Amino acid sequence: MPDILIQAKGLKKQYDSRNVVNGVSITVHEKEILAIIGPNGAGKSTTIEMMLGIRKQDEGEVGYWVHDYRKSIGAQLQATPFFPGLTAIENLNLFAAFYKRKLPKQKAVELLTLCGLSEVVKTEASKLSGGQQKRLAIAVALVHDPKVVFLDEPTSALDPKSRREIHQLILDLNRKGTTVVFTSHDMDEVTKLSYRVIMIDQGMVIAEGTVKALCQKHGVQNLEELYLQLTMGEN
Amino acid sequence: MMTILKTMIVTSLRDKITLFYSIIFPIGLLIGLGYYFNNDAYTPKLLTGVIALSSLFWGVSGIAFQVHGQRSRGVYQLLKLTPFPVIGFIFLMTAARTILGIVINLVVLFTGTLFFNVAINLGQVLALLGMMFIGILCFTCLGFLISNFAHNEGQISIISNLLFMPMIFGTDTFYSLHSAPGWVVKMGELFPLGYYVHGLRSALGTSNMSFTGSVMILVIFTFVLLLLSAVTFNQEGKGQIRLKKVMRNPDHVA
Repeated sequence: MPDILIQAKGLKKQYDSRNVVNGVSITVHEKEILAIIGPNGAGKSTTIEMMLGIRKQDEGEVGYWVHDYRKSIGAQLQATPFFPGLTAIENLNLFAAFYKRKLPKQKAVELLTLCGLSEVVKTEASKLSGGQQKRLAIAVALVHDPKVVFLDEPTSALDPKSRREIHQLILDLNRKGTTVVFTSHDMDEVTKLSYRVIMIDQGMVIAEGTVKALCQKHGVQNLEELYLQLTMGEN
Repeated sequence: MMTILKTMIVTSLRDKITLFYSIIFPIGLLIGLGYYFNNDAYTPKLLTGVIALSSLFWGVSGIAFQVHGQRSRGVYQLLKLTPFPVIGFIFLMTAARTILGIVINLVVLFTGTLFFNVAINLGQVLALLGMMFIGILCFTCLGFLISNFAHNEGQISIISNLLFMPMIFGTDTFYSLHSAPGWVVKMGELFPLGYYVHGLRSALGTSNMSFTGSVMILVIFTFVLLLLSAVTFNQEGKGQIRLKKVMRNPDHVA
């Protein structure tokens, strides 16, 4: 088993007396692609934000493989964070500066090209399409060559071509040794990309394992059937 | 640090609406009113009033919209994930805007001296620079505070205008308050603009109020506004929501 990079134990979070995350434990292993799936409002994003340390949990703890983990983790959150008034490449340079890195122009262009933004390098970020902004957010997440990257619904609202490009990007990153944790509602995408799946519903982990093992265990043909069985069965 | 500072200057310079209200509008106002009144005694008052107005628009509105835009796009949330402290970023953003604000004020000042032959010596320029620095810093802190309470851009405009009205009309920024009702004067004294205007005029030697006194009052305003901004600052722009929740559920207060 590869080394453990992140270990979240018993995470709990309440909003307005509502348990959004209710005792979630997740382990992220080195060089894996881990998919976190579940219905809308299941607590996936909140769990990720707590694992990233940008939202404080009410209970539980998160352990990292290094003390200053922030230098080695990248994240694309559901919001598309960029600075209005700056171009795509200027945004990238600014975020590199936050990591105390100077991004050579060639590397910045390469990164934007990798994310399918080669034609909009000098376009103001606020004028990019929704899909392009999402890809810029992914480029921002990769600006410091992180060891682990979290992608929160990286392909939602993207056209099939862009989606395929992001899939390839995730696979390429992983091939180079980057650990990827992503959330998605697309079960085909999860089946295609992930080594391991964690299914969350109502703030709790309801299934965990490889797609094949989970399907065998529950006697279903594919991940979508399993998802419907487990999430609808509870309602 | 320098990359961040430079980028903040660039992003501020691309904010065309704020630049219009901070440069074009004040200069237009200065030239228009200056030629209309054509009065040598009034010109220095008009010039300092216009510089103060430019500082106010640049400091308050500019930063409030900028912070709101960054916050609503999740920039601060993502910043928390980087090793760069959010407070450090805010400091650099404030520094960039203060530097630019002073440059903008100097452009207005230069226009005034050029069009209306206002004579200024080096000592007065240095005193003006000091006053501009503390004034813009103070208004920037006020802008931060407004952005912490506003839920959207419309609310930023409403809150800013609510504060601008008593500041502009309750002080002698453009006209004398000799005949104004006492409550109007008192209202103006609650805000920093009047002290800033008097500080600028003291620097030019056209006000009886002490320069040091104005500086001290503005430092106190800046400190209080900075403290309030820091206390109410949140990364996700939910300050107003939190207030509503507290008001709906009095047990929270207890």
